Amino acid sequence: MTTTDRPIANPLVVLREEFDDWAVLFDPDTGHAFGLNPISVFVWQRLDGKHTIQEILSEMKDTYRDVPLEAENHLREFIDNLLEHGLAGYQYQT
Amino acid sequence: MNMRLMRSPSAVEVAITGKCNLRCLYCSHFSSAADVPEDLPTSEWLTFFEELGRLAVLRITLEGGEPFIRPDLPELLEGIVKNRLRFTILSNGTLITDELAAFIAATRRCDSVQVSIDGSKAATHDACRGQGNFYKAMQGLEKLKKHGVPVTIRVTINRNNLEDLPEISRFLLEELRLPRFSTNSADVMGVCRSQADKIQLSVADRSRAMVLLWELEQKYPGRITALAGPLFEAHDWLDITQAQRENREPKNGRGHLTGCGGVFNKLAVRSDGVMVPCVHLCHMELGHINRDDLGEVWRNHPELTRLRERGEIPLSDFAFCADCQYMPFCTGGCPAVAYTRTGQENHPNPDYCLKLFLDKGGRLPDVHI
Repeated sequence: MTTTDRPIANPLVVLREEFDDWAVLFDPDTGHAFGLNPISVFVWQRLDGKHTIQEILSEMKDTYRDVPLEAENHLREFIDNLLEHGLAGYQYQT
Repeated sequence: MNMRLMRSPSAVEVAITGKCNLRCLYCSHFSSAADVPEDLPTSEWLTFFEELGRLAVLRITLEGGEPFIRPDLPELLEGIVKNRLRFTILSNGTLITDELAAFIAATRRCDSVQVSIDGSKAATHDACRGQGNFYKAMQGLEKLKKHGVPVTIRVTINRNNLEDLPEISRFLLEELRLPRFSTNSADVMGVCRSQADKIQLSVADRSRAMVLLWELEQKYPGRITALAGPLFEAHDWLDITQAQRENREPKNGRGHLTGCGGVFNKLAVRSDGVMVPCVHLCHMELGHINRDDLGEVWRNHPELTRLRERGEIPLSDFAFCADCQYMPFCTGGCPAVAYTRTGQENHPNPDYCLKLFLDKGGRLPDVHI
């Protein structure tokens, strides 16, 4: 079986929005918490299994000014980090 | 005042029951506004846990009364798990069965079960908690450990167990091999109010407790902790006297009523579902769960705002603090004890007054920090 190319947030993980659009991702199974800056929150909210990384990047460019060239690498790194910590994944194709 | 406030509390303390199988002599409940006739039914708590989940509250502490007295505890824990929270349970340890310990372990969401142990032997523990309860609490503790449930221990220091502190430390840290334990002391709240002279530490007892705990802390580094009580006071007051002696600049917030920051991240609920700022400020009714919006109460209730703004009140506003050389370095202590003592939450806590302590003959440990 192969997976889709659309990352999806682990539904068990809690996004807790705090000050100035920053947030905390909380994994209740481990008790681990991860700080998210506003751009990461923007990305997290699009990890719905419907957006590809390219589509998220495109929306980011539409929303924010002066998105740097290396944004795609940072985005991929961020999602890799989420995958590594079990905070996100890819669904299997049916 | 420009206060940075989170949209919802990150943690909530919930008294799921007002009932308890024990009547410990220094219990902060009973004879307080937390004495309410009926506990809420299961369904009300489950609905409330859903609201906590929607508001992204992360942690809940279940207390009472005695939480394990509720036969529906597993169902309540399932509701907590379903709504993506982690939980802590505060318990006297006597009603913990093997099945419940196994159930808690299986949830994988338990931060800890805190068991109160006040002595190294039955005679000391049972003096305040009732005959046979040391043995039962030990059994409960063993069941939790057997199933791998994280356990913490709280030792409430009082006149009956003061001299047992070295033995308590040895028992908990060496014999039971627990990683650490925390301490506080019997405060003049609840049941303790009617017999404070028999239970609460005198000034001389507090001085003695500070010395003992200071020595034990050296013997067991990092394994004895305190957020209140003699060990906490020893650290804070030694720091204050040193700062005053060295004419240091007071740390940020000192010299004002900044003794408790709980109202910036926590809310509490009584066993009848009434929201309060803290389980020890249970007379301050803010609303009722499932009828009033918790987020709205949290953000806008004037009583919470008043408590949050107490940090702006300088201690120099109080006649109580007049002529105190330590005032610029003091925080005023716990608002709940201040209320019990003076009838005002926004007042310095007389029981946390270093000057009063020293004036009455109290002595701090003779150490250099």
